Amino acid sequence: MMSKLKNLGDKELAAITAGSVILFGIVSHWVIEIISTVELLELAYGSFKLFNNPLAF
Amino acid sequence: MISTILNQYKATASVVGLLAIIILLEVFQVRDAIYPSLLPAFEWIKYSTPIGVIGTTYGSIYATVEAMHLVSMATIGGLVLATDLRLLGVVLKDVPSEVLVNGTYKTFKIALIVAVLTGIFCAAGVADKVYYMQVFWIKMAVLAAGSGFMIFIKQPALSGTPHGELNPWSIRLMAITSILIWFTVAATGRWIGFS
Repeated sequence: MMSKLKNLGDKELAAITAGSVILFGIVSHWVIEIISTVELLELAYGSFKLFNNPLAF
Repeated sequence: MISTILNQYKATASVVGLLAIIILLEVFQVRDAIYPSLLPAFEWIKYSTPIGVIGTTYGSIYATVEAMHLVSMATIGGLVLATDLRLLGVVLKDVPSEVLVNGTYKTFKIALIVAVLTGIFCAAGVADKVYYMQVFWIKMAVLAAGSGFMIFIKQPALSGTPHGELNPWSIRLMAITSILIWFTVAATGRWIGFS
């Protein structure tokens, strides 16, 4: 493990660091959006079911 | 000892330093303090600058510039998908990934400049509306982080070294991050249009 880490160059390590942070931020954003959408539907219609939105019909 | 490590890992230290600055700015609520003072600037852009006045007055010009914005975004999306799906080993397997990474970069930079310039024009016409939209600020944050990642992190990491010498998981991480960045920029852009 350590030998593999030692083989990482500076640019590669920077890419892993920045990539991980950005990836975590973006995935978190979309997960939060999904949760808030489900909560909004539950608030509006009592429960969340696919196709229970009257606007879809 | 520390200076030796910092000299050896300048790029990594810069990334960590930038992240520390962003965290500090958030902890001290600098963003919240600056936000209200930006409204006059957004109103000035819409009502007092040529791009704002043209954008709100001439629908044909606005539509033309917006079409250029969409074409430049489509160009970015195509280049990113071709390059990153090749890095993931999904498409164009007979083309060396180094050729794609280096060959598409110049066009990517031109498309990014066109997208940013036309995007400023499009936003100027509706500046007082987008100012209040959270999704607009998310798009700006992802665009800034994504552009920085592509220009200062991903391209230097992939263009200087044969990809066979890099850790395959580093390459996959860069490719997936890049695809998600531009997916989010496109999706939030459409969300602004939808709102």
